Amino acid sequence: MKAIRLEFYKLRHKHLIVMMTLILLVEITWAFMATSMSISRNPEIARWETLILMLSTMNGLFLPILSAICVSRICDMEHEGNTWKLLLTISVKRWHLYAAKYMCACLVMLWMCILQVFSISGFGIIKGFDDPVPFLLLAQFLSGTVLANMVIIALQQWVSMAVKNQAFALTLGMIGGFIGLAADLFPFGIRRLFVWSYYSGLSPVRQNYVNEQMQFITQDISNLLPLMSLLSMSGVFIYLAGSIHISRQEV
Amino acid sequence: MNQIVTTQNLSKRYGSKYCVKDINLSVSEGDIFGFLGPNGAGKSTTLKMILGLIRPTDGNVKVFGKDFEGNRQLILSQTGSLIESPSYYAHLSGLENMRIVQRLRDIPEKNVSEALKIVRLENQKDKKVGQYSLGMKQRLGIAMALLSIPKLLILDEPTNGLDPAGIGEIRELIKSLPKRYGMTVLISSHLLSEIEQIATSVGIINDGNMMFQGNMDELKNKSHPNIIIKTRNNLLAKELLSDKGFSPFYREDSLVFGNLTDEQVIQVNRSLTAANIDVLRIEENKKNLESIFLEITGKGRSL
Repeated sequence: MKAIRLEFYKLRHKHLIVMMTLILLVEITWAFMATSMSISRNPEIARWETLILMLSTMNGLFLPILSAICVSRICDMEHEGNTWKLLLTISVKRWHLYAAKYMCACLVMLWMCILQVFSISGFGIIKGFDDPVPFLLLAQFLSGTVLANMVIIALQQWVSMAVKNQAFALTLGMIGGFIGLAADLFPFGIRRLFVWSYYSGLSPVRQNYVNEQMQFITQDISNLLPLMSLLSMSGVFIYLAGSIHISRQEV
Repeated sequence: MNQIVTTQNLSKRYGSKYCVKDINLSVSEGDIFGFLGPNGAGKSTTLKMILGLIRPTDGNVKVFGKDFEGNRQLILSQTGSLIESPSYYAHLSGLENMRIVQRLRDIPEKNVSEALKIVRLENQKDKKVGQYSLGMKQRLGIAMALLSIPKLLILDEPTNGLDPAGIGEIRELIKSLPKRYGMTVLISSHLLSEIEQIATSVGIINDGNMMFQGNMDELKNKSHPNIIIKTRNNLLAKELLSDKGFSPFYREDSLVFGNLTDEQVIQVNRSLTAANIDVLRIEENKKNLESIFLEITGKGRSL
């Protein structure tokens, strides 16, 4: 806990959370404007599922980039001032620092996800959707997004720690954003190879076209569990590989 | 006297090249040990191995009489260090940087203000470190190293980037540490003049090999004076003196002798005057520490 608190202390004056919240608000505004326009054209889709699906899809573009920025800012502090030497001579263990940075990035991104859930609830209530707030669907949406974030953060952290030049990590985030947005266009087998595809992949709502009519399919959590397990295992593997690799690097 | 740092056959190889080879370092308690060598000689690599920042290829390190491996936590808790350039978070103030180290080391708040006072940064503590001059960053690095008032202080080229006044201040500070806090200081530098003024013991490293280790007096004793004799006919004088068992060599317009006793000098002078060779000048040329250092590390190399 002390190490995680210290990571937040080190983030002072960087305005990271404010900056990321502002970027997220752009995404939310965009998603809600698009949803409003769709609803005004077709009032039948004024449902919670529309909102959740819209944000899940847009998360594929925005959250990989936000994760890359967040992790890069957290890791670059150590490269910038050569602080690895300082920390290691104070007997800080590398895997310990790696874990603290990972948790710090996960907590910042968790705040982003929670903000999305509150925004969805607020928008639905303001728009006067017929159904009450779907807590179960929102919980599923939250868990899927958080899990995808955690895996992407593990990957970004490995790159940000291993390569001093943060342009690499940020480029990876942007490529991830592109793949995340376009993932649903890939064949199913290929789509699952990319960790960025899981924002829409783990969404509790899917859309389907039957007779040129858009239908929303709500997925039960039990259907998503195998996919979540697969993603969790990939995440653990990426995290451990990164942590071991960085711990073995010489200063 | 207790040995605070000892290394046995400490070596580090990168690829096929040894950067440090079989270093046997020995630093006694209360010493200010000057670790001297030209740039690229292996000083920083040795210090990094002592601090566990890099793994030795061969050999072992003992600090406070304990093997580094297995006692890392304990050893590092009693060691302060500044290796190569100072480490800092540029977006944080000097005080915030100190607080990070204070929290990691779990030491009282009062140490922060004391350490800042020692390095005279208390008036600049709220300024962002990114706006510090190189000298101020160096002082902050030293303050961070001193924060826990460690038993062993390892400083790698601590006066880099400091102006002459700053160098003088840091020198006085380092000299005072063993008496004030009972610290042992291991300081590296490529500047002989710096080490000469503060060190009680010295180790000279060159191309990864330890060339000399001992106290400053032992180093100074290596300074055997030359006797230089100038005559009107150096050629004849050399022949004559060689016949008498001396082995002078030419340097410019004089004859140079190795270490001669007073009696031998008298004998040389008598032989020359007896052979009607006019003696113009007899001089004693004492080698200074710099010449000794250059001799040990190789004359052609720049420092």
